[in-house]
Amino acid sequence: MGDSSTSYIHMVQHLIEKCLIFNMTKEECMEALSKHANIKPVITSTVWNELEKENKEFFEAYAQSQSKQDRMSEEETSRMIQKMISDTSSKDPDE
Amino acid sequence: MLAVSPLRNNTSKDDDEGEMESTFTISSDEFPDFADGNLLESIDFDDLFLSIDVDGDVLPDLELDPEILAVLPPAGEESEMNASGEKTEESDNQRKDEEENKVSTSKGDEETVSKREEPKAVKTGSKDGDKGRKSSIKGKSNNNNQGTRKVKVDWTPELHRRFVQAVEQLGVDKAVPSRILELMGIDCLTRHNIASHLQKYRSHRKHLLAREAEAASWIHRRQIYGSATPVGGGGKRDVNHWLPPTMGFPPSASPMHHQNHLFRPLHVWGHPTMDQSLMHLWPKHLAPPPPPPRPAWGPPPPADPSFWHHQHHRVPNGQTPGTPCFPPPLTAAPTRFGAVPVPGIPPHHAMYKADTGIGVPASQLRRHPLVDLHPSKESIDAAIGDVLSKPWLPLPIGLKPPSTDGVLVELQRQGVPKIPPSCA
Repeated sequence: MGDSSTSYIHMVQHLIEKCLIFNMTKEECMEALSKHANIKPVITSTVWNELEKENKEFFEAYAQSQSKQDRMSEEETSRMIQKMISDTSSKDPDE
Repeated sequence: MLAVSPLRNNTSKDDDEGEMESTFTISSDEFPDFADGNLLESIDFDDLFLSIDVDGDVLPDLELDPEILAVLPPAGEESEMNASGEKTEESDNQRKDEEENKVSTSKGDEETVSKREEPKAVKTGSKDGDKGRKSSIKGKSNNNNQGTRKVKVDWTPELHRRFVQAVEQLGVDKAVPSRILELMGIDCLTRHNIASHLQKYRSHRKHLLAREAEAASWIHRRQIYGSATPVGGGGKRDVNHWLPPTMGFPPSASPMHHQNHLFRPLHVWGHPTMDQSLMHLWPKHLAPPPPPPRPAWGPPPPADPSFWHHQHHRVPNGQTPGTPCFPPPLTAAPTRFGAVPVPGIPPHHAMYKADTGIGVPASQLRRHPLVDLHPSKESIDAAIGDVLSKPWLPLPIGLKPPSTDGVLVELQRQGVPKIPPSCA
């Protein structure tokens, strides 16, 4: 009834938050949840929207950081790759 | 009438009387009733002090100055005025004879003085003076009007810079207005100007420092946990506990009000809000024990919100640097935020990756934190699996949950009758 809906929504929220940690977009989140948790994208999308309404500031900042990361990622990634190369050449990677 | 006639007499004696007379006429109109005890109210002090202009705090031409100045300070003003009022009747003759007896015939003399000084200012300045006068008489008001003794100082950037220099030379807490005045060496400033400016400056500084400290503490915390996490990620029993109960996204509780402002600027500096909210997480992780695992999915949700809300309120206190929850290094660096974004990002990613990427070697992550900008399918799958299998776990970010009804209504609009759906 209401409880199961609430807990379901809570679960979806939890999953969305995990995706947020991964800096995923809403679409990526919908896809991931549908694929890995069998959650209908429309549900993910709705919960995401409602979360956004309740946490406007967070999502605004999230969107900003997302755009920044998109810009920076290439630069950062190449830097990281270079570092990886130098790291592996300098010492044994402990895997 | 007591005042009026002597005034007229006085003016007749003065050279500038012509103007003064007109002034007095005006003044007399404005002095409706001296018979009452409300001398102060009825006295139009703007006339009295019109001679005091912005540039000069005194009436250099008048010998009366010191006495007037003595009378003017609000504390003593009323009594002085009253005293003078009382004497007015008696000293009619005196007034005629001596303009210098301002104290005793303050009304008349002051008017005389002011008239002498700048008769034309009387009319023009009357409004300002009126405000200034009344307010200063009522009770020491600040130097906001030009008509009062306290000259309005224009704090130009240059002037302020000198002020700041002087203050810092003396030490902000030890800076005393009189010494500042000395150090600045500007004639036009009075000690009172400096004092009020100092007060504003101090409160402004405090505000800035508080904000900086808050932000610095968060950034430090994040860095600390960012470096600590990979170590913990491998060794801890349950990786997910590194994302402990959060107080969640900054609540709008009033204690957080100040800190709320902090979040916005910090966003600008390239830190997703997420960082900050996650920052909240980690310290909290240290203090409270994680909630015990609960088999049923039902009970936890109702209990958890209250639990988290409780922490919700705790966090505002926890945010203050120096609280026991937070590691000491927080106070070490009043970092400039410009430096933060770049170093900040790697630890952020490293941390999360270590936490959620069970299959990913922590060491690798530590070294190549940015690799997970595009998270791998495995890590996502692992994270999702975690949530599904352990529903009791606290929300990693702890966003404010949407209203169930809102969601249900919206879903029904979209054609989803109920959740959980029978089939995905």
